[in-house]
Parts: sequence; C-alpha cells; structure tokens
Amino acid sequence: MMGKDFAALWPILFPAVGACFIPLASLDREHDTAKWIRAVVYGIALIALAGSFYYLANLWATGAQPEFESLRMDRLAQFAGIFIAIAAMLTVMQAWDHFHQEGWVKAETISLLLFSVTGMMLFTATSNLLLMFLGLELLSVPLYALVATVRTRGEASEGAMKYFLTGAVASSCFLMGTVLIYGLTGTLNLSDAMARAGGADPLFLAGAALLMLGFLFKTSAVPFHQWTPDAYCASPHPIAGFMSVATKGAAIIALMRAFPAALSSGAIGPKAQHAFAILAVLTLVIGNLTALVQTDAKRMLAYSAISHAGYLLLGFVAGTPAAMTGVLFYLAIYLAMNMGAFGLFTALGLVGEDTSYDALRGLGWKRPLMGLCAAICLLSLAGIPPFGGFFGKYFIFKELIATGHVSLAVLGVLASLVSLYYYLRFLVALFVQAPSEALERKRAEAPLAPSALAGASVLASAFIVVLGGLAQGYLVPSFAARAVSEGLKLLR
Amino acid sequence: MHALLSGALQGYVAVALMLFVIGLATVLLRRTLLMQFMGVELMLNAANVALLAFARWRGGDAEATVFYLMIIAVAACEAAVGLALVIALHRLRGTTDADRAATLKQ
Repeated sequence: MMGKDFAALWPILFPAVGACFIPLASLDREHDTAKWIRAVVYGIALIALAGSFYYLANLWATGAQPEFESLRMDRLAQFAGIFIAIAAMLTVMQAWDHFHQEGWVKAETISLLLFSVTGMMLFTATSNLLLMFLGLELLSVPLYALVATVRTRGEASEGAMKYFLTGAVASSCFLMGTVLIYGLTGTLNLSDAMARAGGADPLFLAGAALLMLGFLFKTSAVPFHQWTPDAYCASPHPIAGFMSVATKGAAIIALMRAFPAALSSGAIGPKAQHAFAILAVLTLVIGNLTALVQTDAKRMLAYSAISHAGYLLLGFVAGTPAAMTGVLFYLAIYLAMNMGAFGLFTALGLVGEDTSYDALRGLGWKRPLMGLCAAICLLSLAGIPPFGGFFGKYFIFKELIATGHVSLAVLGVLASLVSLYYYLRFLVALFVQAPSEALERKRAEAPLAPSALAGASVLASAFIVVLGGLAQGYLVPSFAARAVSEGLKLLR
Repeated sequence: MHALLSGALQGYVAVALMLFVIGLATVLLRRTLLMQFMGVELMLNAANVALLAFARWRGGDAEATVFYLMIIAVAACEAAVGLALVIALHRLRGTTDADRAATLKQ
C-alpha cells in the first residue's frame, strides 16, 4: 500500500530548497542590500513557487496520485498545493513593492514565507498525525516571525507576540489531542484511528476536540479568533493577505481530510456536526457584527476574514460531497478576492500603520484601474451575483437547504447582506468621500510610491474573480469536484 | 479506556493531564510573557510524557518514540522564535508585562 514514489515529494521540495538558497543569496552586512541581490532573492522565490506550481499542474493533468510513505499527493493535496503556490506568488509580488515602500527589504522574510508554504503543503497532504503536526508547526512558526518582520514598529512585535502565544497554545492542544488519540487507538494514522475508536470514550472525545481546536484556530473560527485582527494589523499588508488566505485554506483542506473520517465513525459524527453548526453560526454573527463597527479598513478585512471562515464551516455542516466541492470553489475565489483586497493597500501606496478608511479617501479616482479592481474584489466578497464569491456561497447554501438546514442557510444569506454594508463603506471611502486638506497636503509632499508588481497582482486577482464567476460551470466540475471525488474518494 | 485507567499507565496519564492543565492555567492566568511562555512549554512536555508512556505501553512503538524526538525539536524552534519576540518587545517597551501590550485594540 505504502508507495515510495519521489514524485510526491518534489512539489514540497521546491519551496523548501528555495527557502534554503535565499539566505545564501543575501550574504552581506550592509543594511541596503544591492538592488540586483534583492531581485535575485525575489526571483529565486518566484522560481521555486512556479516550479512547484508547474509540477503540481503536470501531476493534475496526468491524473497521477503518487504516494511517499504517509505523504499522499492525491488530487486534494494537488489542489491545495496549487492554491497555496498561487497565493504565495501573489504575496511575493506584493511583498516586493510593500517592503520597498517601507524601506525594509530583507531576504529572510521571503525565506520564511517559503518555509511556511512548505509546511502548508505538508499539512494538507497527509492523514498521518505526526506529519500533520510537523506541517502545522512548519507553517506557523515562520508566520509568527513574519508578523514581526518590520521589527522597528511597536505594533509588529506586539501583534506577533499575541499570535505566538495563542498559536503555541493551539499547537500544544493539537499535540495533546494527537497523543490521546494515539494512546487510545495505537495508530498515528487519523482515518485508521477513527475507524478503531469504539463507542463514545470520553478520553477519545477529548482528544478529538483538542485536535479540532488546532484546526479551528488556524481557520480563525470563533471563539479562537481573537488573535486574527491584531496579527493582521501588525503584519505587513502582503503577509496579512497571505495569512488570511493560505493559512485558512490549508487548515480548511486539512480539516476536510480529517472530517469525513470523523463523520463516518458513529462515535463522534453527530457531535462533530453539532459543534460545527454552533461554531459556524457564532463565527458568522460575531465576525460580521464586529466588522461593522471598525474604523480601520485593514481591521475590517480581518473581521471579514473571520466571517468567511463561518461560510466555509457551514459547508462542513452540510457535509455532502457537493458541499465540499462548494467549499473548495469558494476557497479558490476567496484566495483571489482577499489577496486582491489586501493587495490594494500596497498598490495604493499606504505605508505604515495608517490603514483607516480616511486614509483611503479619493484614491479610487487617482488610480482608476485599481479602483475598478477594488470594486470587483469587494463586491465579490459581499457575494454580489456576477462575481465568483456569489457562486461559492450559492453552492454552500444550496447544499445546506438540500440537507435540511434551512435556518442556517437563511442566516448565511442575512450575514452576506450585513457584510455588504462594510464592503461598500470601503468603496465609498475610495470613490465618494473627498480627502481632507491635511491628507491632500501630505500626499502632495510624498507622492505615491511605484507599485507595478502589486498592481499586477491585484489585477490578476480581480481577473480570477471575474473568471470564476463567468466560467464556474466549467471550473467546478473539472477542478473542485474532481479534487473532492478523486482525492477524498467521497462520491459513493 | 479501562486498560488505561486501571493498568500501570494510570499514573503517567494522570501526571500528563495535570501538567497540561497547569501549563494552560499558567498561560491564561499569569501576566508575564516569560511565565506564559513557560506554560506553553509545560503543555508541550505534558504531551511528551503521555506519548512516551503510551509508546512503552504499546511495546515500544518506534514511530511514537521518533515523534517524541520531533516534538523536542519543534519545541526548541518555537522557543527560539518566542524568545526573539519577547526580546524585541522588551527593547521597544522596556517591559514584558502582557497587560501593557495593549496598543492594538478595536
């Protein structure tokens, strides 16, 4: 059964090796690294990510699902890998501009980012608890450091510290859950363990709950969400986008791998379903209502990221293969629209801590193309029909109604309506409100920094959002549905 | 479950769970960053105690024993990043009191 196919390792090795090379490329003591060295560093990162992407796309095209011991590069893992690689490439592009604007271009940032990518791919490609734990740590430890990258900013290390403490506790809980499950079943393979667990053993339930806590922390579901706004606000814009998209996506996909096993075991199936329903409702309500009262656009996006975890969890409540397909499609669109929204801060040249709505005033007219992309991404986040975000929500709500959770679907629709208010507020600031005189003067003194790459990444994101909306009839069956049916073998 | 609570494992599991709870309480109740940090380490090591006890009970399972070594390495990595953050914060603020780190609020 256990293969030793090195093809399963390559996609993970690309970013890992790239991450090891980058520190070598920046051996200098000067604070201002020469521009060509900086370009080499970012180039290595892009090449490593593109290599991984290309390899995974090839695997997908041939339909091969190689295995290396407990590492399974099946369709779901390939989908996750492509998802993470795209998110990381957009992040690297935005990071180039953002760190130049901040005047803090360091090679270790990009190296850490690639290590985190490696961890995410590992996390999504296995059901072995040991590997899962290593993946989880490899993805989160670099992120703690990445949040504090610009360490001269007071907020940076504070937000990172909060993220670190809560994250370390969540990892410890994940580990304790792992150990309890191992102790009671004698196997580190999650699906075997679920199959062997007989009856509702309280110690086993505690283990499963602790394990689930680890996943839910990374998806920033309520009540494990408190770190989210602080960590996002403290981190550089591209890193915040990366955390909101890739971390959440990796955790959701890993959960998807763990969850069907949990559901099929009679012991904890119904309990898990109830827990998910309650958490999803709480996440939707708290995320949306808190986002309403924010005055800072970046903080608003952080709470919006929490509320989107709620929609994704609703898909788990429905639990059918079609709902899982919906979740995957939603994740793909969410990648584009959230990377686009966070990328806007860089593309519009907002430096430092001031990301309030007021600082955005009038920028939509200054850069009309970016304004258009902003409108596309934010309206899609709110779930307005022609864009991809609408279809993601539609697939999930449809399955909720089909499985009899009508009230949850209604709540989801209401939550999207509420969310329209705060996304529109962002757009109103961009287009309708005139900037104050002080702001005009400040902008005249310090003209907008160039941000071609970040602009390109926002443009690409907006393009994916529009494409996802128009071509969903083709994209869903050929990508998301195949990842679920062939990767998870869910369609019976 | 019955084998666990009546057999020779009982003591180990009880100690591990107790360590875990003490660690969690330390993180939640103490307001010094270093103390909270030690609480996290205690939680990780509680898992280690339980893991080794289980591995021995299952006849010296090699996979679990290797897992234990991995956990130690991971804990060291976390400690490195965590201490670096504590130092960075201390340089900027001159304190490691968690309550003073409250600039970021909604």
